[in-house]
Amino acid sequence: MTAIKSSATPKPRKATAPVWGPVIFLLLPFLAVYVAFFIWPAIQTIVLSLTNSGLTETGAFVGLTNFKTLMADASFWDSLRHTAYFSLLTVIPLTAVGMMLAMLTKAGGRLRQFAQAVFFIPYVLPVSVATLIWQWVLNPSLGVVNAVTGSETAWFSDPALAMPAVAAVTIWWTVGFNMLLFLAGLQNIPQDVYEAASLDGAQGFQVFRYITWPSLWPTTTLVLTLQLVASFKIFSQVYLLTGGGPFDSTRVVLVYMYNTAFTDTNAGYASAIAVAFFIAILLLTLVQNFLLSRTRS
Amino acid sequence: MKRTLIGLTLLTASALATSASAQTTITFWDLLGGGDGARMQQIVDGFNKSQTAFKVQRTTLAWGVPYYTKVRTSSAVGQGPDVAILHLSRLSGWADAKILRPIAPAELSGVGMKSSGFFPKLWSASNYKGQNYAIPLDTHPMVLYYNKDVLAKAGLMGANGMPKSLNSLASFEAAMAAVKKTGALPVSFETGPNAYMPWRLWLALIGQQGGSIIENNKLTYGKLGASTLTTISNWGKNGYVGKNVDYPTSVAQFVNGKAAFMLNGAWEVPTLVDGAKSGKIKFGYGVMPLPKLYATQNTWGDSHAFVIPNNVGKPIAGDKLKGAMQFLAYANKNAMIWASGGLVPANLSVANSAAYKSMKPNSDYAAVAAQNVTYDPLGWYSGAAGPLEAASAKYFPAAMNGQLPVDRAMGLFETEAKKLLTATPKP
Repeated sequence: MTAIKSSATPKPRKATAPVWGPVIFLLLPFLAVYVAFFIWPAIQTIVLSLTNSGLTETGAFVGLTNFKTLMADASFWDSLRHTAYFSLLTVIPLTAVGMMLAMLTKAGGRLRQFAQAVFFIPYVLPVSVATLIWQWVLNPSLGVVNAVTGSETAWFSDPALAMPAVAAVTIWWTVGFNMLLFLAGLQNIPQDVYEAASLDGAQGFQVFRYITWPSLWPTTTLVLTLQLVASFKIFSQVYLLTGGGPFDSTRVVLVYMYNTAFTDTNAGYASAIAVAFFIAILLLTLVQNFLLSRTRS
Repeated sequence: MKRTLIGLTLLTASALATSASAQTTITFWDLLGGGDGARMQQIVDGFNKSQTAFKVQRTTLAWGVPYYTKVRTSSAVGQGPDVAILHLSRLSGWADAKILRPIAPAELSGVGMKSSGFFPKLWSASNYKGQNYAIPLDTHPMVLYYNKDVLAKAGLMGANGMPKSLNSLASFEAAMAAVKKTGALPVSFETGPNAYMPWRLWLALIGQQGGSIIENNKLTYGKLGASTLTTISNWGKNGYVGKNVDYPTSVAQFVNGKAAFMLNGAWEVPTLVDGAKSGKIKFGYGVMPLPKLYATQNTWGDSHAFVIPNNVGKPIAGDKLKGAMQFLAYANKNAMIWASGGLVPANLSVANSAAYKSMKPNSDYAAVAAQNVTYDPLGWYSGAAGPLEAASAKYFPAAMNGQLPVDRAMGLFETEAKKLLTATPKP
């Protein structure tokens, strides 16, 4: 940049203006994949949601009929409630635990790297492995938890416990990533701020309240936003651990969509669920961003 | 020297290539992941060795919705297999949606098969609106497994090596109560969330009382629905079956000798035969048809069959069809291998052969159970892992586990069932 500015050209800005040829050329591979595998299927889903299509045959155009049915569909509203419940059980706990683990392991001295690795390893596991581990650990008759506690609780089969159990597995599985984001955030807080604070007599919780918390706020909002979207998109853990049961008590929106598309072979209606859910997540993220940016200023 | 080597390699390679291209590959998909899968592999290997013109390439996919989704969607775009396994309980829906290619009588007779070679019930289930769509392979009924040692301790073994007088609901429930007093589990049975087994038992017992499930898209079981679900839910309440038992655990309970009975499909027979052979199973066991708890000895059952998917825009080529039919004929002729997996062969001459009749424990249940099989009702929503079974699997286990009152479970099932019954089938 400096070199360009100090050059003899009268209008240096012009030299940095994009040359469209190479830009398009370089963007093309990404754009092609993005359009072919995201934009085009998304458009197709919207089109499908306006038809009464089956799984393998495109049906007739039916306008907004699917959406009208959807608005009156108790199963859809139930699945939205279950999704919201799962998010309630995971978004704030995952953020809080991630932050705590980051602060704990940063203060961990010699064990620091070991502790960070231990907390991060579950995140590396594929979801099938993570859920299999917990199916064994929480198995009602053969699992280690019930063996140690002497309980006979069927964790994933009890309508009151199934969702909290899925949430607990999710926290164990994914918290490592949030911990990494918070560690990066902590690294960005200059050491001299802490030194100045301690000279001014700040101690213990005060340091956290007035230095760490506000300095970490951008990371916190990022984690909260990512987590909200991730929690709303819950599918695999529910599909693998409970299948949406017992009697639909953990059937979240995407499991309902999957069942509609693949068990009931009703692709038109399943697409309507997908489109409605996309709009819901979009609105929610916008509202959340608005609220978080307000609290920041 | 080097050049000769290269030349030789090229020669071998081209020789291999020609022999490979002379062989027509038949792709074959199934959902047989257990002991039955090992036996299917034996049949495939046997066929591939028996001739040189065709090579069957087998792929096993995950049982249930994943399998059926994959066969259906890939055939819709012309990427399906040449041959696939289908549950006959799904045939009416799939034939109606034109996912299957009809098999002409000439194609059948061309490889030496004829309709009279199969159990009539199975042959009619392989036909839809006057056309044949499948070559039936077996019947897999629900049967009753029993542990002789546990039953003897409860004083329930007869002199003939069979459980004493299981010929009414009252006598079966008395037997379960007697077992429970000894501290053993009376019946190992799948009751976990999304379990299909309660549906199968419910369907069998409604059949025993002369009822039916669905006729002309109407629920027809009447009061039998709730009363039968109450009966089996009471087994849960009384501790005769375990609560929230998932499928592998239900098998383990019996295999580990903890249960007096197991109500399950005949497909678990190889687990017991192999277990006894390897010494893992030390107790004496037996297998019998589902006892007559009401008026008849009806049981639930389904059948595996071979089908040729209707690959859209890419109908099966003549030579592939020839190879596929030869493979089906080979599998039918060698149904004895398949029968050793516990399932009752669809091939009449194999089922009536002296070799099959002396096969133990198969011959103890095969004839009676196969005669009394009740299939899932007809309809696009019906059949193995179909939407109707999926609806039952949400609520019936919950009733057995005491999580939902029977009336509520029945009501929730009926709401979903009626939605399916009134909906137009989606291709």
